[in-house]
Parts: sequence; C-alpha cells; structure tokens
Amino acid sequence: MATSATTASDEPLARAAARPGGDAARRRPHRTSPGLRWILPGFVVSAGLIYFCIAYSGYVSLLPWDWRPRRPATLEGLGSYGRALQDPLFWTSLQHTLVFFVAAYVVQCALGIIFAAMLHSKVYGGNLFKILIFVPVVIAPAIMAPVHRRVFAVDGPINWILERLGLIDVDAVGSRNWTGWLSSGLAQIGLADVTPNWIQPSTSLWVIVAVQVWSSVGIAFILFYASMGQIDPEVLEASRLDGAGNLRVLVSVVVPGLKPTIVALAILNAITALKLFDYPYLITAGGPAHSSEFLGTYIYAQLFGVSSHYGYAATLSMLLLVLALALSITMSRSARERRPGRKVKGVGL
Amino acid sequence: MFELRSRTARLGLTAVLVVMVIPFVIPLYTMVYGSFQGRGWDNYRSVMALEGFYTYFRNSIIISVATIALVFLLTMSASFGFSKLRIRNKEVYFWVLMGALTMPEVVLLTPLVILVSEAGIAGTFWAVIIPLVALQIPFTTLLTRSYVDGIPDSLFEAAHIDGAGTWKQFWYVLVPLAKPMAAAIVVLVMINSWNAYLLPLVLLGQADGNMVVTQLPNSFRTQYTDDQTRILAGAVLAALPEIIAYVALQRHFERGMAAGAIK
Repeated sequence: MATSATTASDEPLARAAARPGGDAARRRPHRTSPGLRWILPGFVVSAGLIYFCIAYSGYVSLLPWDWRPRRPATLEGLGSYGRALQDPLFWTSLQHTLVFFVAAYVVQCALGIIFAAMLHSKVYGGNLFKILIFVPVVIAPAIMAPVHRRVFAVDGPINWILERLGLIDVDAVGSRNWTGWLSSGLAQIGLADVTPNWIQPSTSLWVIVAVQVWSSVGIAFILFYASMGQIDPEVLEASRLDGAGNLRVLVSVVVPGLKPTIVALAILNAITALKLFDYPYLITAGGPAHSSEFLGTYIYAQLFGVSSHYGYAATLSMLLLVLALALSITMSRSARERRPGRKVKGVGL
Repeated sequence: MFELRSRTARLGLTAVLVVMVIPFVIPLYTMVYGSFQGRGWDNYRSVMALEGFYTYFRNSIIISVATIALVFLLTMSASFGFSKLRIRNKEVYFWVLMGALTMPEVVLLTPLVILVSEAGIAGTFWAVIIPLVALQIPFTTLLTRSYVDGIPDSLFEAAHIDGAGTWKQFWYVLVPLAKPMAAAIVVLVMINSWNAYLLPLVLLGQADGNMVVTQLPNSFRTQYTDDQTRILAGAVLAALPEIIAYVALQRHFERGMAAGAIK
C-alpha cells in the first residue's frame, strides 16, 4: 500500500506532467540546501547497525568458533557453509518453514476472506466479532505461548471437546485414546502413530501452524475487510441482477478484486515463516526430536544450547539472510507491479 | 457482501459466525478460566507478590517509550529529508535502507550477542532499544516517506517564503500534517516493542529485575516447575494492558497493524 514512494523522484517528469494536477511540481525537489543531516541519524542507527551486524556475522561464520568464550585467531574459511548445506537439520528446518508457510497462508486467506465477507453482511454484533478475531493479533506470542501449551495439553480443552464429541475415550488409568472406529480409520490412512497427544513428533508442527493461524487471521481479515469496502456496490448489484447468488458473487466478483491483498499476504507470511521463533521456542522448543524445528530455533540452539557454536550460528544466519534478501527483491518487484491497481475501485468483469 | 433478505437469514449467518469464532475464543477462555482454577483470586495475588513483579512492566514501558520516541523522531526527519530536501544520491541511501526491510531479528542475534558481551553493555536497556529501533526504521520510513510525498511542496514553499527555515518547516508544517501516519507508526512500534521477546531475552539477560513483560508468564515455568494456574494468571496480567489499549483505540490499532502488514 505504501510502496509507491520508492521511485517517486526518479520517475520521468513527463509521465507525472501528463497527469492532471500539480504532480510535476510536487515531484521536483524544491530546496537546494543539503538535507543529508536529516536522513543521517536514522540511516546510521538502522542501516549502520544492521549492515555492520551482517558483515560481522559474515566474518564470524568463517571462524571455527566452538565451545570457547574467546574469539579464535584462525579462519576456518567456507567449510562451515558446506557443513550447513549437508546438515540434515538445516534442511528439516527449511522444510518445516515451507510447510508452515503454505499451510498457514492458505488457511489464513480462506478464513480471512470468509470472515470479511460475513462481517460486510448484515450480521448482529459485528464489532464484537471483529474484536474477537483481531485480539489474537495484538497479544504478544510469547505471552500466549504458555496458554497454547495448555490448550493442546493432553488434558486440555481441545481433547476435552473431542471427548465430548465422542471422538476420544478415557480409560480407567486416565490415558486418552481415539474411539475404536476413528483409531482404525487413522490406521487405515497410515496415521496409526497419531495419538490424542498433540506435542509429539507427528503433530507438533501442526500445533505451531494452528497457533499461527489463530494469531494471524485477524490481520488477513482486516486487510480483506478494507479492500472489500472499496468494491463498488453497483457492480455487486449488477451481478445480482444477472442472477448470481451469494456464493457466486463472492467467488467470481469479490475474490478477484482481492488479488493485491492476497499477494501482499503471501509475502508477509513468507517473512513471518522465516522469522518464526517465539511460538516454536516456547510451545514445543523445536521438538520433540526436532519435529517443529525452524531456522530461528535452530540458530538459537546453536548459540545457547549445551555448547555455544558461534561460528555455525553465524553461518546459519547468513543463509537465512540470503533467503530474506531473495524475498525482499521479490517483494519490491511485486510491489511495483501492484502499484497501478493499488486501489481496487470496482472489479474488472 | 452476502445479501440477507430476511431476519431468519441474518440470524442464521450470525449463528454460523458464532460457531466459526469459537476456536478464536478457546485460548482466551482457557487463559482466563485456568487462571482462576484452584485458589481463585489468590493466583493473581501470588503472581503480583512475585518479587520484582512491577519491574517487568516498568522495563517494558521504558523500552517501549524510548523505542517509540526514537523511531518517531528518526523516521520523521528521515522522511522529510528523503521526500522534500535535496540530497545527492538520495535514492542510493533509500535503497540501502530498504535492503534492511525484511531483516529477521534472528540474523542479528549472533553478532549482537557477541558484540554486546564484548562491549560489556549486556543487561542495559540500550542493548535492546537500539536494535529494536534499527529494525523498525526501514519500514516506518518507507511508510512515512510515501505519505509525506503526498503533502504538496507548495506548503513548504509558502512557509519558506514566510521566512521559516528547515527546522520550522519540519516542526510546523510536516509534523502536524503527518499526524495520521504518526498514529499508525506509534501503534505499530508500540506493539512490536511491547511484544518483543527474543531480543530482551538474549540482550537484557534473565537476571532478576531485567525481565520484560513477555517473560512474565514463562518465568513461572522455570521457577515453580510448570505451575499452570500462576502461568495463566501471569499471562492474563501481561496481556491485559494490550487488550485494554486495543479496545480503547480499536480503529488506530486496526489501521496501524494493517499498514504494518503491507510491507
């Protein structure tokens, strides 16, 4: 939404002048005095620190800095990068990141669109629903993490509901099992090892996905809600007169108009997936048996695990940085493409 | 969006919505319900009797206020410079700054840990505030610059003709006109700094009196070996300021967070 400025001043004046209004005048820098000192403080604090850290990280990644508190004097060279690329846990973390991204993104978009469409209809108590959907976005993941651990606990609310629905049996000892038919059904589709204990290797990643969906649907909802508000009511009216039902209007008229938001959410989710730390660290600690390990938790474990591997942590950070930069470039590209149609006014039919 | 002709249809859709919202309420309900289990309000009393309970909030407030103030000042002046002043190679500076836009904080973790321990500033607020500020500025500058680009140059020219220098143009023209964007930035930075967990955990240390509000619920896990009721009571107390702030300033929060989503 706010990316248009990046090319504002190198845009050809001819194009700006062709538009009505004073655009050409607006784009001309009007002062001759140097303004460098106005941007320097922010530039030095932000770019200065971040690029310095990256450079330093690059340097540390070349050191065989393990086990000891002092910085080693010799360089190890690029060996640690080769080690990282052959490290199965690195690839596992990346794979989890990808699965997490796809699953959380799809569910978040679908629920966001449905909630936005419903709250644009005349339902009762609209604002209360809005608050309930958006509150999870506001509360810190670190504060909610212990609550989610409780929610997914063996004797927690999720299992309580499943029990009430008759899907889980509690035996005399108090241990929980799927009811007969469900258990054999799960075995049929090869999920025999899944038990109603959620923080276990086969399901812990999905707990993290579910929690992320819980805390991020509100963002998608607010964005979709805003872009739906810009759809011309006459277009909706026209399609209704043509005989389109509610669902037809949603799928064929409304959703195509949401494309810019859907693209923006893909980028946002990809960044979130790469950054992910608080939830997996505090809910599953990346486990059990690395089943919910992400790059963030893996780097943290290298730094503060049983022993400190500063060099290797820096190597992993540099690889993560490359991924984030690739995303940045994709992002600014798509932002430029998005620009002309930024404000969805009416929808192309 | 959906056309509902009758009262029944409206009630029906509302009922569907209620069912769909249930999963969103479960964690909130679990949090509040669990926090009262066992000894009721005594759970809260024992959390608040925790030594240094208020320092969690005090530290978070100090970090948030300092981060907001610094980000606000640095962003406003940088946006003014990028948008309205003549700077040689301006766009080069801008793109270098934008290169840091999607920087995951985990990437900065290793160098920051080493730097902070070698420089001996581990455990000071600056060790947290400066990285937090550094990570916010690229994005807030991107947002604000495009907003300031939309303020007509003629206003600054008029102020210039009336004898206002660059400083006065900044304080009396730009800052008042950029207010709507400022509100979004304040909300966004407030949430990001108040919710920060990893940077304070690593850079401020876990010593008594050095903890921030996001560490409050988890501190009961280490100290009292998974004391569920107090963990949940701690979570309620830690989340309460945010929930109150959101409900009171609902529109600003939704706009600020939505602006923050579209990077």
